[in-house]
Amino acid sequence: MWADTLVILFISVCTALLGEGLTWLMVYRTEKYQKLKAEVERQSKRLEKRKEAHGDSLDKQHKKKIEREEEKLKNNNRDLSLVKMKSMFAIGFAFTALLSMFNSIFDGRVVARLPFLPISWIQGLSHRNLPGDDYTECSFIFLYILCTMSIRQNIQKMLGFAPSRTASKQSGSIFGPPPQQFK
Amino acid sequence: MTSKLKSSEKNGATIKSQALDSVWTRAFTSNSEWPDKEEFLDVIYWSRQALGIIIGLLWGLIPLKGFIALLLFVLVNAGLIYIYFTNFQSVDEEEYGGAWELTKEGFMTSFAGFLVGTFFMW
Repeated sequence: MWADTLVILFISVCTALLGEGLTWLMVYRTEKYQKLKAEVERQSKRLEKRKEAHGDSLDKQHKKKIEREEEKLKNNNRDLSLVKMKSMFAIGFAFTALLSMFNSIFDGRVVARLPFLPISWIQGLSHRNLPGDDYTECSFIFLYILCTMSIRQNIQKMLGFAPSRTASKQSGSIFGPPPQQFK
Repeated sequence: MTSKLKSSEKNGATIKSQALDSVWTRAFTSNSEWPDKEEFLDVIYWSRQALGIIIGLLWGLIPLKGFIALLLFVLVNAGLIYIYFTNFQSVDEEEYGGAWELTKEGFMTSFAGFLVGTFFMW
């Protein structure tokens, strides 16, 4: 079981590196992406500074300016996502194929033991294709997802491919509107 | 990795360049100066990742399991980082958008690292 855990960790490191490598080849190194990224960073910083300076003021002129800049930033962010999207689809397909191959290799094998009993809606994933009712047994897919969650983002950060905090905060997240940062 | 802090005098005649210690030294020295906020957030991020794996291995060794292990991880992880930035580094958390922003920095990744860590010792 220990060996399987190690193998899966190794697989997820390799796939994360491969994914980042492919993305670099298809996206990160292109001039269009670099230009757009620099533009988004610059605009995010400028917008942040403007919000800091005039955030609470009721001046209509400043508000209009901020709104205009937000609109520009939104458009640039959309363009940036579009540049990324094509290659992301290609990589996504390749990795789905790879994942199904690994899935069939580890099919029905207990690769780790969970130190807790997962809640019911996670059990479907953590006990996928495993025989028996011992829900502390972990399937390949669950361990792979966890390893990828912890490794992929760290690799992106290490290689400098992760989006800057300022840009991601200005563009907001799925959890709500962007908070007022760095007051 | 040495960063420079440039400070210009008001008359604009001279520009002094004062070298700050490396990020590593500042991270382990109390009440360090963090002119670049991103640098400090990176320190928080990476220390949280290390902490996640260490706690995971430790919980697996003890062994701690069940919901209590997860709860204790959240408390220890958040608590240690909170003590680090309030007591050890004494940064003004409002500059970073409040204590919550610092507390959640890199938390999910750290949690995933913690779980993987426990699987190895379990």
